Amino acid sequence: MIQKKICLLGGFAVGKTSLVRRFVTGMFSELYQTTIGVTIEKKALLVGDQDVTLMIWDLYGEDDFQKMRESYLRGSSGYILVADGMRRSTLDTAEALHQLAQSTLGPVPFVLIVNKADQLKEWEIDEATLARLRHKGWLVFTGSAKTGEGVPELFMRLTQTLLEAA
Amino acid sequence: MAPSSSPNSLPQNMLEALLQKLGTAVLARVGTGNTFHLIGDPPPWWATTFKTSPESLIDVGSLAPFLQHFLDESESAWRTDPDRVVRSGPWSHRDLTSILHQFEATALTASHRPLLLIERVDERFDQIQTLLQQARDQRLHHIDQVKTHERTQTSLTGSLAIATQERDDVLALLQHLDLAAIVTNQEGRVTFISPRCLAWIERPSTRVIGQPWEQSLPLESADRKHLRQTWDALTPQRGRRPLRLTSTTPRWIEYEIHADPQSSERRIILLHDRTEVQHLRQQLDHQTQFHDLVGRSPAMLQIYQLVRDVARVDSTVLIEGETGTGKELIARAIHYSSPRKDRPFIAANCAGLTDSLLGSQLFGHKRGAFTGAIDDHHGLFESTDGGTLFLDEIGDIPTSVQTSLLRVLQEKEITRLGETRPRKVNVRILAATHHNLNEDVIRGTFRADLLYRIRVARIHLPPLRDRRDDIPLLVQTLLGQVCATTGKAITDLHPDSLHLLMTYSWPGNVRELKSAVEFAVISARTTCLMPSDFPEELRHTQRDHRPPFSLESHHTEPKTLLLRALQQAQGNRTEAAKILGISRATLYRRLLAHRIDVAE
Ligand SMILES: Nc1nc2c(ncn2[C@@H]2O[C@H](COP(=O)(O)OP(=O)(O)O)[C@@H](O)[C@H]2O)c(=O)[nH]1
Ligand SMILES: [Mg+2]
Repeated sequence: MIQKKICLLGGFAVGKTSLVRRFVTGMFSELYQTTIGVTIEKKALLVGDQDVTLMIWDLYGEDDFQKMRESYLRGSSGYILVADGMRRSTLDTAEALHQLAQSTLGPVPFVLIVNKADQLKEWEIDEATLARLRHKGWLVFTGSAKTGEGVPELFMRLTQTLLEAA
Repeated sequence: MAPSSSPNSLPQNMLEALLQKLGTAVLARVGTGNTFHLIGDPPPWWATTFKTSPESLIDVGSLAPFLQHFLDESESAWRTDPDRVVRSGPWSHRDLTSILHQFEATALTASHRPLLLIERVDERFDQIQTLLQQARDQRLHHIDQVKTHERTQTSLTGSLAIATQERDDVLALLQHLDLAAIVTNQEGRVTFISPRCLAWIERPSTRVIGQPWEQSLPLESADRKHLRQTWDALTPQRGRRPLRLTSTTPRWIEYEIHADPQSSERRIILLHDRTEVQHLRQQLDHQTQFHDLVGRSPAMLQIYQLVRDVARVDSTVLIEGETGTGKELIARAIHYSSPRKDRPFIAANCAGLTDSLLGSQLFGHKRGAFTGAIDDHHGLFESTDGGTLFLDEIGDIPTSVQTSLLRVLQEKEITRLGETRPRKVNVRILAATHHNLNEDVIRGTFRADLLYRIRVARIHLPPLRDRRDDIPLLVQTLLGQVCATTGKAITDLHPDSLHLLMTYSWPGNVRELKSAVEFAVISARTTCLMPSDFPEELRHTQRDHRPPFSLESHHTEPKTLLLRALQQAQGNRTEAAKILGISRATLYRRLLAHRIDVAE
């Protein structure tokens, strides 16, 4: 059985914990509880004919109050960048974390999800911006931890890429 | 260095008890792998979190994925740097009942032994968590607020842009429709005024905005008062009468006051230029004056229309009416309303002139044509060329001149007396008479063919007594004229004076009225005309509503009229002529014609 460590990286309250919870337990909560420590969730997947266990590291949000510890990234096969569609600045944070991850881990697979697609009307991040990132070769998803839209695809896609990369 | 060797050092069992109390599990590494054993009794949470037996060796990496990671991280410190203390930072882990707890691990080396301390930090963590949560909530709230502000600002800017656009649209529309509009607030102060309206009142908008609207309009005080009453009525209103804007270019305006359907605070006033309509209306409905003709009685209005009608064509017109009714004024009005208006208008009185004099006057003569014709002379027909010749008292012209006149009308040419060569003339003839020409024709004093030529169109002027309603207006107009020429300022007419004027029979018609007014103005000692200021005869002649003698000349025998006038004048011919409004010479000829013999 293959086990893979992946990390969720992103600014605070973008929905990292919610995405993991949605993916692992199928649940969602409106209540915001900031994550301080590291939480690791396990999820077994069947990709093609391979059983994969994902060790999903939900890291706390990067902000003025807490800096991400580079050491947590160690051993990650890939990562998920999370941004909040309603806050333009969270995409900048995601990009900065991406730089950090790349310098720590080297060129490992990653995907970007712009979360909270259920609030599309409130979005500050437009299609053109996403197109620009896709143009750079990024895998860009939009989705919602609240509705579940795009969530399984996100994890599946990253896992597939990890397996191909291995 | 064994801790127990120093006198101040804690005994081993005490140290273990202390760590247990602090909630820290202490594990010592066995060998170089991930195998550890617990030192002393683990804290109470241990048993509910990990399934291990206190005595056996523990594979720490299998306890939690995070610990596996931490062991890897601590390896180098343990191996190469005994002074280094590695802290894991908080991590969460579910206990055996799936409750999430927060832990922290520390790797260090003591007495050459790699140690691993695992603490449950729930309590401490809760505090940090609370603080951090507050900080982040606040940050989110702040972001939200900024966003809301931005959105409000954007929507305000948007609304403003829309409002401005709408305002511009409305303005463009108003301008396009050339509508004059004023928008006011509840108190009637101007908040908007359309360019058209500004142009009318000839003021910059800065002097109008914020001002009471009715004061922004240049109006006479009566009009302003009327306007305020309409405004105060509060219901949507259309002004009952047009108002006169007394700007450099005076205008008649009609107005409507509407409540703004969008806001009860506002009212919209629409103004319409009715100057042209008003002028037409004045001319038609309430015409008081037409050229120099004064009067608005139905008979006069009909005459004005007739004048306009005949002015358009070039036919000869016979103007009938008693003496003093203003026949020449009618002729002038026709001329000045006609296409000939820029050419001469010449009036000739045909009464009391001999054949040759009248003929010479009208047609001109060659030197020596008759006694006294010392030079070549062109007549009125030639002087009037292209214009209008008014022949007054046409009933009085001698037969020979009638013949020449007929030729002019037929051939449009004249021959000067003493000449044979005819000359072409282009003259419109207007004729007037106070005779009944039909009777003259029967009597043989007037040529029938000439009558028919002259009477292509006919205007009959009523005597003043038949249009008494016009008397006040006439008096007012005449008074104005007389005051202007005499320089006297008469402002009022005593009611008794008006009564006097209204009941008098005016055999001499408007001409007599004018002399009476002149007389009164000269006599007046105050600014008000009293009955005593008027000529005696007005007060002494019988004043009933019937004239003292019927002057319905067209239906009454001329002879009867002459006799009545003589009777009233007690045989005095000068007086009789005056009563009839004719000259003494004319009276004389008529008396002869009717074979009335009166001794002076
Ligand atoms: N509307 C909406 N809210 C979401 C979504 N995902 C997360 N949230 C909310 O965003 C807040 C932060 O989510 P959380 O998962 O704790 O964010 P983290 O700090 O990145 O782990 C919480 O109040 C969530 O309920 C989403 O897809 N749609
Ligand atoms: Mg979280």
